[in-house]
Amino acid sequence: MSLATGKAAAASAEQADVIVNYRPAYIAMFCLGVFYVGIRIYEQYFGWKAGLDSFAPEFQTYWLNIMWTELPLEFIAFCGIGGYLWKTRDRDINAVAPREEMRRLLTLVGWLLVYAFTVYWGASYFTEQDGTWHQTVIRDTDFTPSHILEFYLSYPIYIIAGWGAFMYARTRIPMFANRISVAFLLFFAGPFMIFPNVGLNEWGHTFWFMEELFTAPLHWGFVFFGWFALAVFGVVLQVLGRVIELSKEFESDVLAL
Amino acid sequence: MSITTEAGAPAGKAWKSKEEFLGCVILTDWILLFVLFLVLLGSYHIHYMLLAGDWDFWIDFKDRRMWPTVAPIVAMCFAAAAQSFFWTKFRLPFGATVVTLALLVGEWINRYDNFWGWTFFPISLVFPSALIPMAFWLDVVLLLSGSWLVTALLGSMGWGLLFYPSNWPVLAQYHQAAEVDGVLLTLADLIGFNYVRTGTPEYIRMIERGTLRTFGKDVVPVAAFFSGFVSMLVYFLWWQFGKWFARTDYLANDEI
Repeated sequence: MSLATGKAAAASAEQADVIVNYRPAYIAMFCLGVFYVGIRIYEQYFGWKAGLDSFAPEFQTYWLNIMWTELPLEFIAFCGIGGYLWKTRDRDINAVAPREEMRRLLTLVGWLLVYAFTVYWGASYFTEQDGTWHQTVIRDTDFTPSHILEFYLSYPIYIIAGWGAFMYARTRIPMFANRISVAFLLFFAGPFMIFPNVGLNEWGHTFWFMEELFTAPLHWGFVFFGWFALAVFGVVLQVLGRVIELSKEFESDVLAL
Repeated sequence: MSITTEAGAPAGKAWKSKEEFLGCVILTDWILLFVLFLVLLGSYHIHYMLLAGDWDFWIDFKDRRMWPTVAPIVAMCFAAAAQSFFWTKFRLPFGATVVTLALLVGEWINRYDNFWGWTFFPISLVFPSALIPMAFWLDVVLLLSGSWLVTALLGSMGWGLLFYPSNWPVLAQYHQAAEVDGVLLTLADLIGFNYVRTGTPEYIRMIERGTLRTFGKDVVPVAAFFSGFVSMLVYFLWWQFGKWFARTDYLANDEI
């Protein structure tokens, strides 16, 4: 009995001392992937069936109701994640042991993975999809089916993921908590600004008929803020730099790889 | 994936053992590469589709003047930035190829799943431009020369000049002449006219503009040469952008 208890305790202790666990990130990506495929199937059907005339009752039912649901949920998720991470922050950040710091750095890599995954869906998949919708259907509202899933769903989701990564680093990793990483700030804030830029975009579309070229200058605000995602370069270098600092004793083993 | 060993980590050490360290960093390196791939895919794609997208979306927009001018110049930005990062920080000579592959993965998924799958345009109308041969060229020049200056001059000019030939094996069939109702046009034009889009009026305005565009046989080489010239300038600029975004400095907390 005592032997079994001892083994269980050892196993439990070992489990608690896991240095890297990317499973939560994989699960988050899987769930997001399933969710995005699901809404893609939804728009395949209801885009044509109920998304062509914004004055029709079915447009309200099948599309605007989604928007009025998703926006408050996204705001709650943004505040909830940021609030939780802040509330549970490490209040003795300068006393973090090297192993715990390494664990948190690797957890941050998981956050970055989820952020990158959501950036793909927002900036690539749903943005170009919006182009083909507008080449096919003349808009009679700013809140088209493609916009409801692009601007007001996929963009907020990547903002929430980026916000989570940024706040995780700010509240748990000494080098990001004691100072502000310029690269990390740009990596979060630049793509974030794409969302407010929707205001410029839709304001412009109320004035001008811009459908003849997807490359119309009105869209270049998205391009400018999208460039700031390149700050992922600096973030990766900062994370790797700290991993190397904490792993000095194995430097020769790495060079031998 | 979880990695543990039986022994505890020594006080003040991050790792319990060499095996734990190696297993973890190799996995994490791959994940960070995937992070870079996805982020570059997203940002490059939004950049490319909103600066050169119309010429890349449609077979009838793939003309002899604007397409070989606009597309390579716009595409050069991220190729140069990625080379700057991967070469100066890791001495890896595949920045342009990786980032271009990322863009094309995003484009092909979209053209099949959305342009064809949602709005029912045929793939022969909407397939993206080929960019990989140009990216190979740029990376090979950087690898062999080891110099971003040589790459900016030689690689970028080749980048512009290679664009049209790289696409020609696929494009040539669509530039066969056809006569429809007494009008001479290409097969690409014909496909486009059968799938009228909101971009169609601008396309009609564009193809009728310019005497050399309409009749000259030397338009493509001139456009490619001009494209290579501007790509050189873009390469210089975006190499520096890549370096700037790879910054690792910090601000004090009270500075923002």
